[in-house]
Amino acid sequence: MAALSNLKQCPPFSNLSDLSHRHNHIPELERYPRISLKNDISTNAASHRYYGTQSFVAVDERVLKRITRTFFDGGFWEALAEARSVKSREQAPLVAQVGDWIDKFLGLAGGLKLRIFPHTQQLSGEVIAQFVETRDWMNSDVRYVAWHCHYFKLAVAGVDDVVRIYSKNVKQPIVLKSPTQTDITCMAWRPLCSGEIVIGCRQGLCFWNVDNSLHLGRANAPSQAFRHPSNLPITSMQWNKDGNLLATSSIGDRSIIVWQVDNRTLQSLNRLGPPGGLIKWSPENDWLFAGTVDRVFRVWNCNNKWTTERWVCGPGGHVQTACWSPCGRFLLFVSSTEPILYRLQFVQQSMLQASAEEKEVLPIADLNACSIDANQTLIGGPAQQLAWDPHGNYLVVTFKATNCIAVFRTFIQKFDLQISAAYFLSGETAAEHPSFVCFQPLNKDNDRSVLTIAWSSGRIQYCPFD
Amino acid sequence: MSTGSSSNACKLLLLGRCLRAVLLSAGIQFQLLLVFLLLVNFQLLSPLDWVSGTVGLICSWYTWFASIPLLAAVVVYGVSLCQQHLVERPYCPTRYRWILHYGPRKLFFLGAHLLVGFLTAWLYTGYLQTDYRHLSYKCYGEDCISGYHVYMLGMGLTAGCYYFVSVHKRQEVSIKFPIVEQTLGEKLRELLYATLARSLVRSILPTLSYTMVFWILGRLVCQRLCHILDVNMDERMDGFFGVVSNVKLLFYGWLLTAQILSNMHLMRSFYGILLCEDLPLVITKQKAAFASEQEITLVSCLGVFNVYVVQCLAANYFYKLAMRKDSKQRAEIFQLTEPGNRPANWRALCDQCLVILNSFTDDLVESMQKISVLKGAQNLPLPQTIDSTSTSIMAERLLLRQYNQLHGIRQIASPPRNVAMDQPADGIRHMPNWCERVSTQLEEALHRLVKRVPGILYLFSEPEGSKTNFLLVNSQPLVYVTQALAQICAASLNEDRYGVVQNDLPAIVKAINKLRGELDKLNSVMGNLRAPSSEFNVLRSAVRRSLYTICNAFCDYLGDLLPPGEELHQLQAFIQQE
Repeated sequence: MAALSNLKQCPPFSNLSDLSHRHNHIPELERYPRISLKNDISTNAASHRYYGTQSFVAVDERVLKRITRTFFDGGFWEALAEARSVKSREQAPLVAQVGDWIDKFLGLAGGLKLRIFPHTQQLSGEVIAQFVETRDWMNSDVRYVAWHCHYFKLAVAGVDDVVRIYSKNVKQPIVLKSPTQTDITCMAWRPLCSGEIVIGCRQGLCFWNVDNSLHLGRANAPSQAFRHPSNLPITSMQWNKDGNLLATSSIGDRSIIVWQVDNRTLQSLNRLGPPGGLIKWSPENDWLFAGTVDRVFRVWNCNNKWTTERWVCGPGGHVQTACWSPCGRFLLFVSSTEPILYRLQFVQQSMLQASAEEKEVLPIADLNACSIDANQTLIGGPAQQLAWDPHGNYLVVTFKATNCIAVFRTFIQKFDLQISAAYFLSGETAAEHPSFVCFQPLNKDNDRSVLTIAWSSGRIQYCPFD
Repeated sequence: MSTGSSSNACKLLLLGRCLRAVLLSAGIQFQLLLVFLLLVNFQLLSPLDWVSGTVGLICSWYTWFASIPLLAAVVVYGVSLCQQHLVERPYCPTRYRWILHYGPRKLFFLGAHLLVGFLTAWLYTGYLQTDYRHLSYKCYGEDCISGYHVYMLGMGLTAGCYYFVSVHKRQEVSIKFPIVEQTLGEKLRELLYATLARSLVRSILPTLSYTMVFWILGRLVCQRLCHILDVNMDERMDGFFGVVSNVKLLFYGWLLTAQILSNMHLMRSFYGILLCEDLPLVITKQKAAFASEQEITLVSCLGVFNVYVVQCLAANYFYKLAMRKDSKQRAEIFQLTEPGNRPANWRALCDQCLVILNSFTDDLVESMQKISVLKGAQNLPLPQTIDSTSTSIMAERLLLRQYNQLHGIRQIASPPRNVAMDQPADGIRHMPNWCERVSTQLEEALHRLVKRVPGILYLFSEPEGSKTNFLLVNSQPLVYVTQALAQICAASLNEDRYGVVQNDLPAIVKAINKLRGELDKLNSVMGNLRAPSSEFNVLRSAVRRSLYTICNAFCDYLGDLLPPGEELHQLQAFIQQE
């Protein structure tokens, strides 16, 4: 079993200060956009959010008129709040009293409903942050990073609910911003399309058509928006390889939803058990992995009538992160509590009739924390995110509590996978930690594995691998 | 196997599935009856009695005999559904043609709905209290008409009619392939739960509407029945409150409606589920002596244009096999014949797919010529040479002109006339004589007169874009065929050892690109048409993705595949991200 202690043998990338002297430096990297969201996002991100009503100045109205207007502007709950506001209480105490009674009654009814259906409670940001792959999702400047499968397009979602699309040789990014797109948890470019991106957020799914010729570099409204059937936030999603099916999950919903976006239809995959967490398609669409907020996770066999296999991970945790090997035969995952990297093998059905009983989960790497230098800098512990390079040669692991990134070398054989510790990467300062990592996909313009790291400082770094 | 015999063999196969659907539909009647009886006879304090009594009722001789008429009606309903699935779907340009062709079938189907609704109500009321059970009951020692029974029977008829109007009136039955293909048991379970839950909500509106109508007209109907049966009137249903305050009656009515709507939805879904099952197709027929003669090839099935379901199933089968990289049948496509070494499998498949693609594109182009906005756009003078840098400006101008034309905005300056077109070749201008002038005027007057007669235009004119609409609604096979063909072409780079695909690549790319161009044109006017946007989006997206798949796989060889020109530029721009 590989261990992080072996990382000491390899020099870290960041030891060499000059970029051009690094052995893995490529001139092509100079053309990658230099991104630092810190400059774009001010300290108070909420003040930059866009709300249409902020443009209008309030006028003096009578209480009932004000409540009615609020009802039509913001709905029932805002109207009730308006009725119970201090201003209304001064002007019409009776109306405020009635508002109090209604609020009390609804509070009782709501409490009763939550006792019977506890899973229907509103999902707070803290709860979402617990189950997404981004580290410190609530406060991180960068909440998600997604590369286009075929072109040089990098989407970066910020804490200000704005998605910025960077292209090669284009200085000004395209900005995707909408009031119906808050608390972004995931993003995905649609395969086999030039510019369709879907953004998972609190309101559901927002689809954007990103065109380089967008006027002023900013789009105001998504081309279409889908809501979760139970009005829940989308916490994980992924397109299949062909770009015709989109699988989504929400930590408040006990089923996985598979969308056929073009004709706006969906189908639920039930029998998940606890509410869904992470979603990952295998590269060839053969399997669909779905984690949950509990120990259970499932893998659906998409080629065999969508039969499912149920697995349980270590005690007290849930699957924190998972990734498929580029060949689709191996699935690596880690639990949120155990610092151990596990492997699940999916051999071809025709070669060996492998069922859930025959398969086994194997621990392949010990991720327990250890020091990597004389300063006792620690690396390891419970993992935050995994990313496997598209060539299948490197596996990158980030951690929940330590700030360095571990890089493992992987060697994929037909029925076996070998893994050994290789490098570690660290930020510019000791306090800087990786928020999100991903690899740039291979395409006709790019045949190199380029790791993209979004640091907690809002800086995006690119690390090419051999 | 010829197309005709394939069509017959497939129809026979599908007929067997329809029979299974009828059996399932018959079986579900007892399950629905069980649910109804469990709800109606609910006893909180003695649950064992409740369950055993209900099961006993279901197993009783009365139930078996009383349900015979309903089962017969279900069979009639099933036959009608089966016929609609397997019959040819011709295009009816006018409403009059549509009524002529589909009217009798729709009427028959409406009759089946009414029959099933009525007989369900009749069967279910037999298990309720005495005053619900029969058309007349004893009141004050005399025979009175039972208003409750009349209400329930009317409710059954209304529910059947409501389902027909809301689902089948204009729409043709069609199969929808599931997004996620599960086992039959799972599908049925999900369907049953979802249908029962949804119909409880869906039945509220028809129940309330029918109750209102019954409050207004129910008395008249009861009086008529009293007169016919020579019995007294039922005074329990008098007045608004007599109907509305009878909670039990409303509950029974609502439950009955929910059951009937569930029943019809389930029967329709059973057909959909069973017909969507894969056909046992082969790529090439076995030549061994013991091989079955009844083997149906994929190509012959794709060529069955007159049975839509068969073509859909074949296209779906082709799509699925093309998407599986380890599929033996996909490998079979690239194989050569033995003896002869000819790529017969691929050639036949490719030719059939191109026929489907090209005929659809031609039909679409023809239908689009009848759309006034597009027709106007096509008549607009285009510049002789289109500079690649000004293409977007030209497109913008074209769209602006289309918009102006659509909203009747005239140009301030009169458009430049094409002098060459106005002047005859011999230079002598033709002047119509008085006879021609009178004839033209008469013809125009007659046209205007006919248009003024109410209903004439509605019945005998072809609505704009109706052919396009028809083509898009029936474009499901094309969605699968295009994607499958593209996938096979892309896979040929690694799997086609003999290079059987490469000769046909230019034709495939051209066919898909032509269709993409037409769909892009149509996209600009989709807002003005009544065409279904979801089908259009599915088709357009599938065609674009298919073209992308091929062009991306062969991006280095595009110059070798296509001659230099506009099309090559278009495709290079398409994969280099517009």
